[in-house]
Amino acid sequence: MAKLKLALYWAGACGGCDVAVLDVNEKILDVANLADIVFWPIALDFKYHHVEAMPDKSIDVCLFNGCVRSSEQEHIAKLLRNKSQVLVAFGSCACFGGIPALANFATRAEIMERAYIEAPSNENPNKTLPQIKFKVDEGELTLPELYDDVLTLAQVVPVEYFVPGCPPTVDLILKVVNALATNSLPPVGAVIASEKTLCDECDRKKENKKITKIYRTHEIIPDPEKCLLEQGLLCMGSATRGGCGSLCVKVNIPCRGCFGPPAGVADQGAKLVSAVASIYETKGTEDIEKMVNEVVDPAGTFYRFGMSSSMLKRKHLQRK
Amino acid sequence: MKKISIDPITRLEGHGKIEIFLNDEGDVVNTYFQIPELRGFEKFCEGRPVEEMPRIVPRICGV
Repeated sequence: MAKLKLALYWAGACGGCDVAVLDVNEKILDVANLADIVFWPIALDFKYHHVEAMPDKSIDVCLFNGCVRSSEQEHIAKLLRNKSQVLVAFGSCACFGGIPALANFATRAEIMERAYIEAPSNENPNKTLPQIKFKVDEGELTLPELYDDVLTLAQVVPVEYFVPGCPPTVDLILKVVNALATNSLPPVGAVIASEKTLCDECDRKKENKKITKIYRTHEIIPDPEKCLLEQGLLCMGSATRGGCGSLCVKVNIPCRGCFGPPAGVADQGAKLVSAVASIYETKGTEDIEKMVNEVVDPAGTFYRFGMSSSMLKRKHLQRK
Repeated sequence: MKKISIDPITRLEGHGKIEIFLNDEGDVVNTYFQIPELRGFEKFCEGRPVEEMPRIVPRICGV
């Protein structure tokens, strides 16, 4: 069998997804036996013009991580879409927006202002902001346009598969590699993770009891055997797809939902709001107000990784 | 003036490009290093619970 041609790319990302691929350790040799890597900025010195010169559909599989937030990221997403037979949204940013999608709670102008003018480490008395085009003595410099919104990969181009996780776990990556090796990829559109929720896969004891207070994580040391939500900690497990190996809950930390919504759930945050509301002991309006006030950062908690793909998508913009 | 673009810069964490301007003799006149990306942690961490920061800011750099 001819070797597969594999590309990996990062858009609005931290590089953790790329490192996760390297975390397969010696099994990376299996990947090398299976595939020739034709583009991978973190590890290999290919340039954009090399990709542009490739025939259309000549890349067998592209693992694309990171959100899409700029004209450059959109351009490369479209370029790799044209060059690839199978495009995989790899990691939570490409699948759902991820942590960078928390920026959808602010406007582009607010982000620019904070990052380049207000931040205490800046020295920028002229309040210079990045420009798309800038004349210098020698000629013109260009930068990509920063978009108003953080987008998922699938909001920009058609995507064949989704591999969630921040980052995807080694087990999931090997599942993808094995599926490629044996030519047994699932139906197009599949999320390559568990079909169950994290709650279904969690070993903790659930007693179906009500809670009377929501705690912040530093306020209590939870019982390591019992359900975190039933101890009053906001755990996203019931609204989150499984397949991560329960990494966080196994170390007594509540889930923050990086695997995105489970099958059949349109909005992960709304699903958890519903779960919390149903477990909270309320006898009247006062209890409901108490519950609401105990959630210190509802948007940033319920939509920690999923703002772009949620029904909310972003905070409402006041357009003039 | 001739321009050489190195885009993207590879084998490091993050996004960058380098523009090198050359004169007619082929000597370097000036070089510009540019960061074509911004995610905005400086802004979107504001107002979030301090105890959640260890779960948000590691995503500045995962390398």
